[in-house]
Amino acid sequence: MRYLALFRVFFRTSIQTDMEYRVDFFSRIIASLLALLTTMAGLSIAFTYTSSIKGWSFPQVMVLLSVYYLMDGLIEMFIAPNMRNIMAQVRDGTLDFLLLKPVPVQFLATFRTVNIWRIVNVLVALGLSSYTIGKLSLTVGGVQALTFIVTLAAGCGIIYSFWLILVTLTFWFVRVDNIEQIIWQAFEAGRYPIEIYPVWLRNALTYVVPVAFIITVPAKALTGQIGLSYALVSVCVSAIALLLSSLFWRFGLKFYTGASA
Amino acid sequence: MRYWIRVYAAQLKLATAIMFQYRFSVLIWAIWGFVGPLLGLAIWSAATEAKGGSITSARGVTFSQADFAAYFLVFMIVSHLTMSWDAFEFAFRVRDGNLSPRLLKPVLPIHGDIANNFAFKIVTSTMLLPVWALLFYLLKPNIHFSIVNILIAIPAIFLAVLIRYLFQYCLAMFAFWTTRVEAINQLYFTVDGFLAGRIAPLALFPGWLGVIAYYSPFRSMATFPVEIILGRLPAEQFLTGFLYQIFWLGAGVGLFKLLWAGGMKQYSAVGA
Repeated sequence: MRYLALFRVFFRTSIQTDMEYRVDFFSRIIASLLALLTTMAGLSIAFTYTSSIKGWSFPQVMVLLSVYYLMDGLIEMFIAPNMRNIMAQVRDGTLDFLLLKPVPVQFLATFRTVNIWRIVNVLVALGLSSYTIGKLSLTVGGVQALTFIVTLAAGCGIIYSFWLILVTLTFWFVRVDNIEQIIWQAFEAGRYPIEIYPVWLRNALTYVVPVAFIITVPAKALTGQIGLSYALVSVCVSAIALLLSSLFWRFGLKFYTGASA
Repeated sequence: MRYWIRVYAAQLKLATAIMFQYRFSVLIWAIWGFVGPLLGLAIWSAATEAKGGSITSARGVTFSQADFAAYFLVFMIVSHLTMSWDAFEFAFRVRDGNLSPRLLKPVLPIHGDIANNFAFKIVTSTMLLPVWALLFYLLKPNIHFSIVNILIAIPAIFLAVLIRYLFQYCLAMFAFWTTRVEAINQLYFTVDGFLAGRIAPLALFPGWLGVIAYYSPFRSMATFPVEIILGRLPAEQFLTGFLYQIFWLGAGVGLFKLLWAGGMKQYSAVGA
């Protein structure tokens, strides 16, 4: 309860700060919308020549793309801004101030800011997916919807843990923002069905950068390509990831020394 | 002429030294250059496979998997040679006032930047050469290099570098008026990538989209030399291609002069 109240405060203050940079944030959103649009155009060009690619139909690929875009939005809204803050705070030593507050550091550090404008990505993604599901003339049954929500939530847990581990590395290496760039490049691969990639890359996208769990699995759940049992696997992976990353964070924190120490 | 050679030689030496200090950023740019075309290749290979080995457009252009491999590999290399990221750098300079000392030098900042860009291309291309060779070996593209076409492609690439560079520099100069240009740049990069053929070869674009892509400046910035090297462009279209390039180069120079003059009136360093 207390955490929820705190989160509400974080949310309000974030919106207030964001309001100061309206033009920039709106142009960022237009830029990311355009990126979505060109990917859609590229895929629709490919699908004028064939009706299915590795078992995926055009509407199914569109659903996948909207899940990609949804995840991109959620990461940029909740996860990435906080993690970037932590990296900066470790570098200039201001993490001290967080450590002194009477709230668990991990909660405070990773839920502090919300990049509210990215909600546009989330809304566009939801719109695109419901539109394509309508076109798919698939009736999304209760089980399917449930599987989707569960796998999506599990995916959020996995990507959160992934970032937390990455950020914890700053305690030793100080500069990991370059690695962030490389990970975004790997994330790009998630916009297409992972079956189109060679086996080694598919494995890398499942186990190294967990793109498969956070994008492909929820998308397949929504289009009815996988059942509820997959959701269980996702939830287990997510729980383990959350636990391990949290332990790693606490371990890393011991190595943190203020800027002057 | 001797003066300009000396100016550029000095800038090149300086830029190469700086480049080696930022090895990691250089690596990231290189990865960015690989990912897009390889993703494009993956999706088109899968589509070709679904079609039973080759894709034929309404205009009778045929692509097999090996043709796609050739296209995206050559596209990757030409893109690397013609791409630049200076737009981001320039905005930075305007915002923090770093542009001021550069304005006091006896040559326009753009000359230093062009030299810098050449140094970047020389250093990174040497570093990437083995990777490109490996990709050629692994992906088995269907390509028959003809000496004549490569010789013709060299001036086309050179013009493409200049055009792309000028357009991006012009875009960067919007920083004189708006200070935050990252989002505008991102927008521009997205359009550039799509219309130059980063996601799909222009020859496969349907109807009106194909027409837009054909006349857009982005074709002159990357696609035209790619088409020459691949031997996909009939020889009688070489001349029109070069004429388009010269037209866009002229447009770029004109725009640059206009924006630079306007921007200089607008620009005042912090504290002025």
